[in-house]
Amino acid sequence: MTDKVTVRVQRYRPEEDAAPWEQSFEVPYSEDLSILDALNQIKDQQDPTLSHRWSCRMAICGSCGVMVNNEPKLSCKTFLRDYREQGAVTVRALDNFPIERDLVSDISGFIDHLETVQPWLIREQETAVSEGAYPQTPEQMQRYAAFGQCINCGLCYAACPQFGRDPAFLGPGALALAQRYNLDSRDQGAAQRMQWLNAEEGVWSCTFVGSCSEVCPKDVDPAAAINRGKVASDINYAVNLFNILRGKDDA
Amino acid sequence: MRKPYVQRQRADWWLRNPAYRRYMLREATALPLFLYSLLLMSGLYQFTRGEAAFLAWLELLRSPWLLALHGMALAAALYHAVTWIALVPKILVIDSDRLRVSPATVKRAHQLGAVTCNAGLLLLALLLLRAAGGN
Repeated sequence: MTDKVTVRVQRYRPEEDAAPWEQSFEVPYSEDLSILDALNQIKDQQDPTLSHRWSCRMAICGSCGVMVNNEPKLSCKTFLRDYREQGAVTVRALDNFPIERDLVSDISGFIDHLETVQPWLIREQETAVSEGAYPQTPEQMQRYAAFGQCINCGLCYAACPQFGRDPAFLGPGALALAQRYNLDSRDQGAAQRMQWLNAEEGVWSCTFVGSCSEVCPKDVDPAAAINRGKVASDINYAVNLFNILRGKDDA
Repeated sequence: MRKPYVQRQRADWWLRNPAYRRYMLREATALPLFLYSLLLMSGLYQFTRGEAAFLAWLELLRSPWLLALHGMALAAALYHAVTWIALVPKILVIDSDRLRVSPATVKRAHQLGAVTCNAGLLLLALLLLRAAGGN
């Protein structure tokens, strides 16, 4: 007889439910069964009405983020074998985001924040394509490479209590991406992004809980990025103050 | 028709996992330090009221409750310093073409600085105590 494992899945059907509720399923267990495999087994074999997001199954698309036993995880790289001792596994939609249906979160707030920080190369003077690429040494790339590994899965937002308290907070992912471009030797947009770092919703809303970095499946370390942003914001403040004292215009 | 369910942050969010609890503990270290600073200020106030009042305050410090508060304040300050210094290499990244310092060195330099400053202050206090003829 096949070994079975209990998976409790959060359900929310907007047409008929006022609030989310929990449904238990028995799934045939195997050593290599990921949470995503279990959800697909449920949808294919037991209840086709279950909604969840997924695509690549290899931790690169960032679609399958869910809460597994209250921790934000990519369901494709989280395995049921690691929860055998804890008994049942509970899968919920990501914390801090509105729930669209079952395990599907509406992460549009996070996507808007990403756009806010202008995550692209900003140049004072664009050069023509015919003049070739902007050169960069491997060493210069190394300075921002880790912050560029983000796959926009939103786990850091689900882990961030400050974003949970105030969804206007730009949050770990967006601020890490701002830092990624600010550290890029080809970019000249740090001054433009500074208004967002300095804003109420910017780096100063972070209290260094550090959970974003712990849950990040790509080791981006957003907490480090944000707090380095605080250093940049401090320097900007001091420079502005100095300029005002010298009678120059506030930059 | 869409009807997204908006999740509200629960008041007990920080009880949900150990990392949040450690964070709240770090934040809570401010409380014993706040009480300790009140105690110091009350001492300063008694000092302005004359010798008898100040000696009475010094006597008060011997109470087990206040000794416990000192112990807690010390533990809180140490916990905060240790956890904070552990985070410094994440914030202070010295990596330019001219100068490069490894994260481990940054952390060790801060630890060394903290120990040196505290030992220096302790030494200064002991020297002052000796100069004043106290014991």
